[in-house]
Amino acid sequence: MAWSDVVTIAPFAAAVLLAGLVLVVDLVRPGRTGPIVAVSLAGLAGLAALTLVTGQTEATAFDGSYSMDALTTFLDLLFIAIVALTILFAPDYLAPRGLPMAEFTVILLFALTGAMLISASTDLLVLFIGLELMVIPGYLLAGFHKSDAYSTEGAIKYFLLGSFSSAIFLFGLAFVWGLTGSTRVDVVAMRLTEITAGAAALSPGLAMGLAFLTTGVAFKIAAVPFHYWTPDAYQGSPTPVTGYLSVGPKIGAFALILRLFVEALAAVREDWLIIVVVLAATTMTLGNLVALTQNNVKRMLAYSSIAHTGYMLVGLAAYAAGRVEGLEGLLYYGAAYSFMNLGAFAIIAALQKRAGVTSSLDTFAGLGRREPLLAILMTLFLLSLTGIPPTAGFFGKAYVILAAVQAGGPVAILAVIAVLNAAAAAFYYLRVVVYMFMRDPIGDDVAPTHGRLLWGGLWVATALTILLGLIPGPLLEIVGNAARAL
Amino acid sequence: MQVTDVPILTLIVFLPLAGTILIALFPQNAARPIALGTSVGTWILSLFLLLGFSPGRGGLFQYVEVASWIPAFGIQYKLGVDGLSLVLVVLTTTLSWISILASFGPIKTRIKEYMASFLILELGMIGVFVALDTFLFYIFWEVVLVPMYLIIGIWGGANRIYATIKFVLYTLVGSLLMLVAILAVAFAYQDANGGNWTGAFDFEALRAHAGTVGFADGLQLLAFAAFFLAFAIKVPMFPFHTWLPDAHVEAPTAGSVILAGVLLKLGAYGFIRYALPLFPDAAATYAPLIIVLSLIAIIYGAIVALVQPDLKKLVAYSSVSHMGFVTLGIFIFQEQGLQGAILQMVNHGLITGALFLLVGIIYERTHDRTIAKMGGLAGRTPVYAAVFGFFLFASVGLPGLSGFVGEFLVLVGAFDFSPLVAVVATFVMILAAAYLLWMFQRVVFGELSDFLKGLGGHLTDITPVEILTLAPLGALVVVFGLFPGLLLDLIAGSVATVLGDVAQGTAIQIALWP
Repeated sequence: MAWSDVVTIAPFAAAVLLAGLVLVVDLVRPGRTGPIVAVSLAGLAGLAALTLVTGQTEATAFDGSYSMDALTTFLDLLFIAIVALTILFAPDYLAPRGLPMAEFTVILLFALTGAMLISASTDLLVLFIGLELMVIPGYLLAGFHKSDAYSTEGAIKYFLLGSFSSAIFLFGLAFVWGLTGSTRVDVVAMRLTEITAGAAALSPGLAMGLAFLTTGVAFKIAAVPFHYWTPDAYQGSPTPVTGYLSVGPKIGAFALILRLFVEALAAVREDWLIIVVVLAATTMTLGNLVALTQNNVKRMLAYSSIAHTGYMLVGLAAYAAGRVEGLEGLLYYGAAYSFMNLGAFAIIAALQKRAGVTSSLDTFAGLGRREPLLAILMTLFLLSLTGIPPTAGFFGKAYVILAAVQAGGPVAILAVIAVLNAAAAAFYYLRVVVYMFMRDPIGDDVAPTHGRLLWGGLWVATALTILLGLIPGPLLEIVGNAARAL
Repeated sequence: MQVTDVPILTLIVFLPLAGTILIALFPQNAARPIALGTSVGTWILSLFLLLGFSPGRGGLFQYVEVASWIPAFGIQYKLGVDGLSLVLVVLTTTLSWISILASFGPIKTRIKEYMASFLILELGMIGVFVALDTFLFYIFWEVVLVPMYLIIGIWGGANRIYATIKFVLYTLVGSLLMLVAILAVAFAYQDANGGNWTGAFDFEALRAHAGTVGFADGLQLLAFAAFFLAFAIKVPMFPFHTWLPDAHVEAPTAGSVILAGVLLKLGAYGFIRYALPLFPDAAATYAPLIIVLSLIAIIYGAIVALVQPDLKKLVAYSSVSHMGFVTLGIFIFQEQGLQGAILQMVNHGLITGALFLLVGIIYERTHDRTIAKMGGLAGRTPVYAAVFGFFLFASVGLPGLSGFVGEFLVLVGAFDFSPLVAVVATFVMILAAAYLLWMFQRVVFGELSDFLKGLGGHLTDITPVEILTLAPLGALVVVFGLFPGLLLDLIAGSVATVLGDVAQGTAIQIALWP
């Protein structure tokens, strides 16, 4: 191990150390939320700075199986932001239910290390380890509310289908390894180019491998028809966990797609293009149609997150059809989606501060009168999720659609499907607005007071949701660099 | 093109935003004066715009402001006005303060939210008219949607939630497809320009491209269809009009005034500004179909209005009919037709806005709008009856009042285009007289109805504030009726430019059986 390797993996190593440090803090001051949050937030800020500094120079470590480039930097910073926001949103929900903050934070930080490993891995095995490191903490978090039957049920479903899909994915990796004799992404890409050159059709082995890999990944991003675990896992989990699960592992799985499909399987791009087109169309449409009928906001947002997977897949399809803008759009959308979705879930969590409050639509009735500020922010997040300008969600959608229009052919049809879906989605997002502003409150609940951490996190999410819509220039440049790194 | 030192258009667009922020900061009872002050301020600024405008400079844009916004795609913050948009901006600012003043009485709950929504609505509407970048245009177009959704949904009638969601969904389907078309057009421009995004969203660059090289036939047909859908839903043209009666009936009075006065004009403006100049070939191809749809709207709106039992619904359907004249005038591609269409847009805004105010005034007192329950208002509220009659005659198209000029010009253009079309359209003017005057007779003349008698002292005549909201509209109706040249001079340059653009269009042969 050379010194340069250590420098390159410094952000990842620091994330592991930070998780350990939080454990130690909890040992010293058991059961105290304040120190945990302070240490983890300060640590994450340091981690972000370290990532920025290390990311200045492109480098690889451990014989090319770990690489630090613009894409890694962008994804790492996004993951760090997601985790930091989740930590801000959690205490208000966990404390009244007697759930420990320290364990929550530590599990979350370990998930972060997994996500960071995925974004940096240029070796299929490292990729798989990163994936597992990211999703196993997710299973724990889903069942974090041990005494709650729904939480346990959701966690078991999530765990069973998650492990199942990991196995399928690993099986696919084995096929690829068998054909190419390597697990290194660049070598795999090279060998596949040689193998497919001149061949009219995919060899059965490669086709099998591709099918297994696609299935495994489709489970992880919750693409239709591999989405069945999502609604139960999302609805059952404690609300801050749901917020995290709907963005963190999803962006992580997309990072995996970028490293695996876009880089390693670049040679068979045209073969997976058509798969992605079909997945995108079904995912958007089904996610939205089912979301239309939901009366529970958490479950509705679970289905809507499936639909958002579909929009991101449109960007991937545009890239597969030869448009680098598709990749940029995918990354932009990922960032925009993270902040607006986290914000929306944070508000649900805030409303559920008193144990026993459900996430049904009725909870939102008359919110505009009870807590006007919270209602206005929720409206902003919902408008952004709908894709109404000038918000982050709008620009993300416009970007993905632009790439799809450029790609032409079947992908351009995806653009039309995407906007029709966005119009249908307006119905269920705006239904929440109807409840908040146009219905009277059910019962005369006194509004709970919300912690300063929650407000701080909400303002960050709000600012990003607005800024990414009004001044998209800086992030455009960043995702442009990140996309070029592939 | 002139670049002014004072960014007056930016001031006009964003002054309402400043008002919104002030409303948010100050307590409830300050909301009304702030909103009125802001909207009057915006109105005065827009009058300065009118004074400094030089109609002699043809269809060129004036007061142009350009700033780079998203350089990666050549998206600009570009504003500017020509005669057409200027007239509509002033119409918007005028109706905005009138609507806000007219809301003082009827809106009693959540005044802060209402006034803030209204000012954001004003921002969006003005923005649509002054944007010269297709991306920016789209953003303002969507910004209009949310406050109107809230205004109908929160302060509307009993069935308001159904109406407001229908309004949003209809509009969104059209506008999102338009977004795809905007992006496709930008990409086509970028592609033709050697991969350079500069100007890909710039309206003037796109128009120049359309006028010289032209967009490909296939793209024109699809993009025009998408733009058409967005604009036709907004106008609304038959058969996309079904959201309008619901929205009008449920909206509070001021919401109806803005809906009829300005929002419907957004669609017509979109046709003239974007659809015709950018896709002249597709416009020529689709024109016969659109003319037929316009005629259907004119006839259908009038016939349905004839049988409406509800005052507001009657005025709403008359809007469908009147806006049919606008689309007819636009798509016959002929000077008088286009002039008439633009005049009709302005006049419809003034007259129908006033009619909705008048319906609102009677509703405030009776909490009912059923025509059958009315009767004999002339005896109890003579001033109201007189004002109502004045605007009804303007709507019918009495010569000397402004409604006449627009419809007359459209008919002249239509006659030039095809006498048959003109005859059909003229026949409908008789229908219009029938449904409006029959309604007037039932509401105003005869014995005071039992229902109105039961109200006793509540049925008071029009108040000074209500007069104040109606007087400017009435004055403009007379002025434009007697001196339509005032408006025609302003829009002459725009009309000539657009007609020059469409003159280059040749219908695309569509092979249905390849």
